[in-house]
Amino acid sequence: MIDERIFQQFSEIGRDLYEHTMISSHGGNLSIRLGDRVIIKRRGAMLGRLKPHDLIETGIEKNDSGVALASTELLAHRTIYQQTPALAIVHCHPRTAIALSLSRDEIVPIDNEASYLLKKIPIIWEEFASGTPEMANKLAATLQQYKIVMLRGHGSFAIGQTLDEAFFWTSTLEEACEIILKAKIIDEPFIEYRGMSSAYAKW
Amino acid sequence: MNGWAGQVLDIDLTSGAMKTYPLDEKMAHLFLGGRGLGARLLWDEVGPGVDPLSPENVLIFANGPLTGTGYQTSNRFSVTTKSPLTGTVLDANSGGYWGMQFKKAGYDALIVRGQAEKPVYIDMKSSGITINDASHLWGKRVREVTKILGQNNNKRNVVCIGPAGENLSRIAAIMNDGERALARGGPGAVMGSKNLKAIVVEGKQRPEILDEDRFKFLLYETRKLLKASPLTSQALPEFGTSVVMNILNNIGALPTRNYRQSQFEHAEEISGEALTEKYLVKNASCWACPIGCTRISKTDKVEGEGPEFETTWAFGASCGIDDLAAIIEANSICNDLGFDTISAGSTIACAMELAERGQLDSDLRFGRADLLASTLEDMGYRRGLGNELAEGSLRFATKYGAPELSMSVKGLEMPAYDPRGMQGQGLLYATSNRGACHMRGNMLGLEVLGLPKLIDRFQVQGKSSYVILHQNTAAAIDSLVICKFTNMGVAEEYFARALAAVTGVPYTTGDLIKVGERVYNLERLYNIREGFTRADDTLPPRLLNEAVTEGPSKGWVNKLEPMLNEYYRARGWDANGSPKPKKLADLELADLVDVKI
Repeated sequence: MIDERIFQQFSEIGRDLYEHTMISSHGGNLSIRLGDRVIIKRRGAMLGRLKPHDLIETGIEKNDSGVALASTELLAHRTIYQQTPALAIVHCHPRTAIALSLSRDEIVPIDNEASYLLKKIPIIWEEFASGTPEMANKLAATLQQYKIVMLRGHGSFAIGQTLDEAFFWTSTLEEACEIILKAKIIDEPFIEYRGMSSAYAKW
Repeated sequence: MNGWAGQVLDIDLTSGAMKTYPLDEKMAHLFLGGRGLGARLLWDEVGPGVDPLSPENVLIFANGPLTGTGYQTSNRFSVTTKSPLTGTVLDANSGGYWGMQFKKAGYDALIVRGQAEKPVYIDMKSSGITINDASHLWGKRVREVTKILGQNNNKRNVVCIGPAGENLSRIAAIMNDGERALARGGPGAVMGSKNLKAIVVEGKQRPEILDEDRFKFLLYETRKLLKASPLTSQALPEFGTSVVMNILNNIGALPTRNYRQSQFEHAEEISGEALTEKYLVKNASCWACPIGCTRISKTDKVEGEGPEFETTWAFGASCGIDDLAAIIEANSICNDLGFDTISAGSTIACAMELAERGQLDSDLRFGRADLLASTLEDMGYRRGLGNELAEGSLRFATKYGAPELSMSVKGLEMPAYDPRGMQGQGLLYATSNRGACHMRGNMLGLEVLGLPKLIDRFQVQGKSSYVILHQNTAAAIDSLVICKFTNMGVAEEYFARALAAVTGVPYTTGDLIKVGERVYNLERLYNIREGFTRADDTLPPRLLNEAVTEGPSKGWVNKLEPMLNEYYRARGWDANGSPKPKKLADLELADLVDVKI
């Protein structure tokens, strides 16, 4: 039986992701680690309209019947929990970040907030990007060093101690990408205002 | 070896022999330094069944790969030994200057073994190391000894014991730089048992840093984050650690009168705000620390460092005392005698309850501030009732037939967070390897302060994940060795990157936390080898059975059992709390124990 307080966390973050257009009606997923268990969104459930039965519990290492119901990204989530200190994962499809991921190998924010919090967001890719062990391992390895990563053309994976924290990194990324995009549209010379900013790209 | 000095010094006080040998590189990479390196060395040095106060026990002083580099708060060092209070593995760490100086002397660790025939002190200078007669120092108190031996913060630094350590009190601290303490678990008694009064160190070598440019950037970013956090840039500098007194009291998690209540009606009078307003002279900092939480306070009778929050709580709310001047004076006496203030205050609180119940013939009562100073002096010199109190609360309460009144885990007195109002904190205390401790991870951030984000403090399901992460993180930080307050403004990610820049070893955040997990499991193995079992992973019966009667935590006990089961599974331990072979193999610890993988 999943604690009502845990459902509430999923429900609120899921609704926020949908309302902020970071997912389509049935896209994205969320999970948290509870000891040796993972709680993850049911396959096909709508994050913006979660019901208690939309949360599935299964093992982080061991399979059980929960696997039959879980999100297609279960493998990625499990691998991240096995290989990093993450206690929560937010995966979604932030549109501006996805657009930028199509033309570069990393996103280096130019706004103050994301420079301060994220420094740099790596972009990774695989030919078969969903549900494969190759992608899961690459994700986990990158999240050993970064709290958020972009999958080229697909979306972001962010980790944290809570869903709240992982959502914070996610929304910070999308905000940073919108600012990059708008600065590009304005197309005026950039005035550097940050100290030691050249080091961000080496983060 | 960038970051590490690359040398271990070994001194046998029985024979007077000294030797130096290279630090094992693989061991350094796996355990870093400080607490981790200490635990690994202790595993080999002190086998099962050794009396902690015998010459066979050792004291391992260790710094870490960041110590002395100038990274924020890289001043700390630790001492590891087998605890005479708990019988568990013990490490205690401290700030100030000594750790930085020891690193500059060119060592990662100092192992002190054996027992000197008569009192001695060790003097480490660049011209050589000597073991000197300390007959003229024996019996003297900490401040006087520190002064006589020439304490000079940036040049020559002193660790020593006071009368409490000499008299083998099981709650005696080792003191450094005059006022700071390696406090918990009785390391001062181990030093006393070796007839070792002090270790003085002078050093000149700056640790080597591999990537200076990258390191400078990390210093810059870390400084920015510490300045940005209101906790590290405003609350701690302005009010010291006691800034949390009112916060904990308001939510009903401030243990009061030996944990009989969870709110103290006079919390405001002993709060950080009151300390700053009435008694603060100035604040001070450890070496390379931009936070500056240290209080220099003054009353009519004393002036000196402190008191910290835990001390103020132990002599204040826990003893039902609202006289902040008396608490400051008690802290000053503890620093001069060389006592762990948490254990000293909690043991006195235990005696107060026994006396109120009529089970102890003493004038001690909750609220009797006037008896604090004389009781502590009696404890330091082992006089009368003080002789019994100097053994710590569990042995004391057991002698009077009421072990349940000792608010301790594995014999170590609990600090100032009520596990009935902070469920995760209870699990953390119960599973802490050195006994109840708020520095082996702390749920204050998640359950109270919202660092990094607030979680429900009464939630039970899933709490083990948070506790494990914070225990592992604390073990990693203790192995670097830096101050945990840095972690209140700066995430572990920065520490891993600083470590990589200094050493050239490509540690990731995940790698760093895994070092912490390795250390935690090794400590667990040590305790299992000493005979500790699941039955020792518990809390005082009061916290499991007596619900809080009023305030925001009303009706709550700590629901330990389901959290503990979940915790063992998540740790990869069996139902008795022993790490499974797969876990040991994953952590590269399997070669230490006789298990089949």
